[in-house]
Amino acid sequence: MTPAPDKEAAKILSTNSIEVLYDNVMLAIKGVSIQVPKGGMVALLGSNGAGKSTTLKAISGLLKAERGRVSRGEISFEGTLITDLPAQQRVEMGICHVIEGRRVFEHLTPDENLDAAAPMSMTRATLNAEKQKIYEYFPRLAERKNSQAGYLSGGEQQMLAIGRALMTQPRLLMLDEPSLGLAPFLVAEIFNIIKKINKVHGLSVLLVEQNALAALEIVSDGYLIENGRVVMHDTAQALKSNSDIQEFYLGGGSATNFHDIKHYSRRKRWLS
Amino acid sequence: MFYRLSGVHHASYMSDSRLYKIPADRNLALFFLALGLAAPFLFGSLYLNSYVLPWLVWTAAALGLNMVTGWAGQLHLGYAAVMAVGAYSAVHAAKFGVPWEFALLIGGISASVIGSLFAFAALRVKGLYLALTTLAMQFVMDWVLTHSPTISGGSHASLQAPTFALLGQKITSDTGLYYVAFGWCLLVTIFMLNLRRTGLGRALVAVREKDYAAAVLGVNSFYYKFVAFATSSFIGGVSGAILVATFFFLAAPEQFSVAVSIQALAMIIVGGLGSIIGTYFGVALILLMPSIVNGIVAGGASTLGLKLNVESLAHIPNAVYGALIIIILMIEPLGLGKLYGNIRDYLILWPFDQLKK
Amino acid sequence: MELAFLAELTANGALTGLLYSLFAIGLVLIYKASSVPNLAQGALTMVGAYLVLALARDAGLPLWAAIPLAAVAMFGLGMGIERVALRRLAGRPIVMILMMTLGIDIFLRGTTLAIWGGTSRSFDLGVSSDPLFLGDILISRINLVGAAAAVLLFVVFVMFFRTRLGTRLRAIADDYMASWSVGISVERGVGLSWGLASIVAVAAGIIWGEIQGVDQSLSLLLLKGLTVAVLGGLDSIFGAMLAGLILGIVENVGSTYLDPLVGGGSRDLIVAAVLILTVMVRPHGLFGRHDIERV
Repeated sequence: MTPAPDKEAAKILSTNSIEVLYDNVMLAIKGVSIQVPKGGMVALLGSNGAGKSTTLKAISGLLKAERGRVSRGEISFEGTLITDLPAQQRVEMGICHVIEGRRVFEHLTPDENLDAAAPMSMTRATLNAEKQKIYEYFPRLAERKNSQAGYLSGGEQQMLAIGRALMTQPRLLMLDEPSLGLAPFLVAEIFNIIKKINKVHGLSVLLVEQNALAALEIVSDGYLIENGRVVMHDTAQALKSNSDIQEFYLGGGSATNFHDIKHYSRRKRWLS
Repeated sequence: MFYRLSGVHHASYMSDSRLYKIPADRNLALFFLALGLAAPFLFGSLYLNSYVLPWLVWTAAALGLNMVTGWAGQLHLGYAAVMAVGAYSAVHAAKFGVPWEFALLIGGISASVIGSLFAFAALRVKGLYLALTTLAMQFVMDWVLTHSPTISGGSHASLQAPTFALLGQKITSDTGLYYVAFGWCLLVTIFMLNLRRTGLGRALVAVREKDYAAAVLGVNSFYYKFVAFATSSFIGGVSGAILVATFFFLAAPEQFSVAVSIQALAMIIVGGLGSIIGTYFGVALILLMPSIVNGIVAGGASTLGLKLNVESLAHIPNAVYGALIIIILMIEPLGLGKLYGNIRDYLILWPFDQLKK
Repeated sequence: MELAFLAELTANGALTGLLYSLFAIGLVLIYKASSVPNLAQGALTMVGAYLVLALARDAGLPLWAAIPLAAVAMFGLGMGIERVALRRLAGRPIVMILMMTLGIDIFLRGTTLAIWGGTSRSFDLGVSSDPLFLGDILISRINLVGAAAAVLLFVVFVMFFRTRLGTRLRAIADDYMASWSVGISVERGVGLSWGLASIVAVAAGIIWGEIQGVDQSLSLLLLKGLTVAVLGGLDSIFGAMLAGLILGIVENVGSTYLDPLVGGGSRDLIVAAVLILTVMVRPHGLFGRHDIERV
């Protein structure tokens, strides 16, 4: 299926069958093509080790820090090829990656965390205004802005990580497992805020989640990744009603015997 | 080309754990063994005793350090102190009238005892902190040596070693001393070559890679760290004693100063951590380089008609020595042994490169 | 009398200790940013002192011009060392990184001495060598100047780390990956810390060069500086200041009472003992951070 030209123009990010090699030997993803529409929200779903995080790192350029590289395919952001650009330049272009595990700067205060992420070219006044905006989104952070970030709760740290990413003025925000290890009500709160930022500012979001149920509630599209390949791509609605997805990622579903499972895995192989 | 092996063809575990898996390696080793034995008849006594002999003794010592740092992964910046303990106790024992065979043994054992003190530090900390502790211990040892006349030999701080003798035979000839050094180096090399085929060698490597993972597998990492320090200190102690007995002829504190510890570490890193052949290369480069550079600089200056002052001449080899370490670490952090390995791997398949993979 | 003597020992020890801190700040800066223990800091200090001397004596510049010029040159040298030698070793085992800094140490010392020779020279900063009397206590003027310089530098760095650039450096010290993810150039930050440490080396070189003469012995400050840095926690500048005070006092008082017993020269022994004890008892020092573990 070839997308219509006007649809192509509306993409903020697209990857064209990228492959990623770690240490020049380990092929982590084998031809992933995804597209994020401008102002849209897209989820990458899949199990552990499927290659979701690697895909995000390939897009943000953080692969290099882990001795990985994109060995085939290309990534374009707003029509520019960014496959080989350094991470720093991609951040300047407007891609920001909230890495897995809420890696806040532990020994800095939340306020300083936000300062550190702001580009050096930003004036002091803009910086303060931007910080104010983030504190409005996350009032919990405002309350604790002068305590040490390492001692914040998990939810607060995740909010800080997202807020810190917003300080770089991104046009595409990539979130890696924001719900990891958080209580369900916090997940809902964070997802609501992400949705709100997406709506108000038209910020495009690429979300990696294992918590497929929560993710499919807020995104418009979803990609399912298995063994380093995209095996399914559909709208969130269609994915939610797909029986295989229900069975394996949403819990519940109807298949209760081995026959159905075998049927699924055979199809998966065919797809990949 | 020389090696002619296209692929691995082991059919049994016995063949896989052989010392030399490729006949060419064995032939090469035999060639160098023969060369070593014949050296006194090939080189003039000046070259033999001022270059080849210290090279061999230092190689033995560096192999001991490589065991603890390269194999067991424990940083050691106080190796010269351990060598000093061996050297001083052996010389004192020999002065006391103990035959040299036993004096060397006493030197080795007392070095081993003191070296085990370093191991206690290793049981508690690792990495940078171990390096700093061993460095501090080296300073303490330096201090003890320079501040206790009974050990260092009175006002001149030098201790004359009695004439070396084995089995009651006094050894004074250049050839005889050379064979002593050669024999010791051979012994240590054979020990090290076989070490990696034994359970001990494998346990040391396991401790290096991840000590707590090794512990989970049932490797008592404390015990093996201890064994590594004790054994390497024994080798270092005896090497120190032989160095004094066959090369310096008198023991002085500055022969075992902190700079010498750093030099020993440089030898094994330039040579390659955990590489035996690399240790030979590394020692050769670090030990022989200053005199070569001196020759080149002096020669170059005189042909160009430049007049360098004495001080510059004295310090240029140091600068080159430092630059050498920097450059080798930049080009190949795994050292000369790895470079040799790369060449060997290439030649094994040459000219059938396509067999790779 | 005895008490006044002890007070004098303590006061002078504290001042000398702050001079060790001055040296140790350089070590801390680099360790903080990149976890590299810079064993070449002693050599850098020596190069800094020689450079100032060369500019002031040989090129005839006044000191007020020679010192900033040397600082700029050393900033470049530090950045260059990081760029050329250390960056490519990132992620390698610590033994190779240590050896690299040792190689740099040997290289810098050899080159400096080959160029300028090893005879001891001095600056003549214009600080009188007559001691200062504070009541009954005699205090060396140059030590006082040096200690003031150390405190000043400490304040400057505390203020620097509160600026946006300084905050970024602290962020780098916390987490490389997270820094990259928000567009902070870790490489440039680490380079900057080497540059700053080299400027600190110039300051330490001038003060120590004035005290003991500009020669090879300047590089021997490394052991004392390392001890101070480790005791302070390796990545805390405040820790380095406090540890300097402690080491200076312990060393000065201790050696006075110990020297007659062991026949002199017990200073180095005390320093080595403090280093060993610190590592054995409290490896992360007084203010070193152990990573925050939240339950």
